[in-house]
Amino acid sequence: MKLNIINDLDLKKQAEKLGVSVWQTPSFLFLVLGAIIICIMTAVFFITRYYDSPEILVISESMIVGLIFTIGNVIIRDIENVARTNKVKSEFVSIASHELKTPLSEINWEIDLLFSKYSDNFTEKQSEIVRNIEKSNDRMTRLVNDLLEVARIDQNKMILNRKNIDILQIVKEEISNNKILAKFNQVKIELIKETDDCNIMADERKIKLVIDNLLNNAVKYNLSKEGKAEISLKRKNDYLVVSFKDNGIGIPINEQKYVFEKFFRSNNAMRYQTQGTGLGLYIAKNIIEQSGGKLRFESRENEGSTFYFSLPFN
Amino acid sequence: MIIEDDVILREVLSDFLVKEGFTVVTASNGEEGVNQAKKKKPDLIILDIILPKKDGFEVIKDLKKDEKTEKIFIVLLTNLESLNDIEKALNLGATTYLIKSDYSLEEVVKKIKDILNR
Repeated sequence: MKLNIINDLDLKKQAEKLGVSVWQTPSFLFLVLGAIIICIMTAVFFITRYYDSPEILVISESMIVGLIFTIGNVIIRDIENVARTNKVKSEFVSIASHELKTPLSEINWEIDLLFSKYSDNFTEKQSEIVRNIEKSNDRMTRLVNDLLEVARIDQNKMILNRKNIDILQIVKEEISNNKILAKFNQVKIELIKETDDCNIMADERKIKLVIDNLLNNAVKYNLSKEGKAEISLKRKNDYLVVSFKDNGIGIPINEQKYVFEKFFRSNNAMRYQTQGTGLGLYIAKNIIEQSGGKLRFESRENEGSTFYFSLPFN
Repeated sequence: MIIEDDVILREVLSDFLVKEGFTVVTASNGEEGVNQAKKKKPDLIILDIILPKKDGFEVIKDLKKDEKTEKIFIVLLTNLESLNDIEKALNLGATTYLIKSDYSLEEVVKKIKDILNR
């Protein structure tokens, strides 16, 4: 029975994770190798017991070594295959996303051109249709950027362009960017500054992404009549801690361990809003960790969540 | 001047800039770009890195070698895939760079005007 439990927990999960059948998972193959070794050693023991001859011992030991090398080779090639497939998939995402960026920029600019220079005689309906094209294009652009970021993370190729940045300034800009959504959702955004020094060394663009994602989440998933999103900046030892506290829908306890996984969206979030890639927090966590900090959260369903990250001072 | 091989990108930029009051010349490959630049002597060149016949880096080198064209402002048009490429171009003498997906056309024009007003 214990063997069954191990089977159910480890092997099935590993098989799914690696995209292979259970019989091909490295763990299973190691078990097989171990079992074979035990069988052979037992066999050798009995053989040498009944055949008191050194030649038989040498032959059987050579056979064991030969068998171990062969099976070992199969296992290693199997693991190599899995790793290579992973790399190819990730490279494919990178290349595809990169190729998509140019036509997406082009659509963006063509709409820019249309609206700013060629829309004088547009009917209401025509304007509306073009605006919808623009919105869909924006969604695609965001998704492609996210996919590229994820591919870079998976390939350990994240680019960090570090320089001295003012976090308070970035937070203020993002509050401004999210003003319309906040107003639409009737969420009040509050900024609490408990420290004067908000300068740290990091990649401005990437940190902006993180703050935008966390603030957007705080505002988006908020149904309460008196919706609030509180951003605070404080100093804790050698770290700047930025937290985003909301009184929104929260995250159910049984889903909390999946929050930072790729493509994860909690059920209550999806019930509320089906749009979203589930990549934001995965990317945010990686950015913060690569910048030397940590991203954590606390949440209670229907009461709200607090997401906070820390970044080291220079 | 715009040196860009992608026709849609080249034309949308050109169209917008003309409507904004700029006089625009275009080229679709590096060699044509350098020749036109020496003839027309634009104030500013928007340059793509990946070009047929002569890539962006070669174009910058050629322009900087000739005293007739060495003072022209060069703005790189990029997708921000490689910081190395951008750094290389800046070291060769490019003035600044522009990430296509990050800027609206209005912002592109603003950046150009900022550079020209220096």
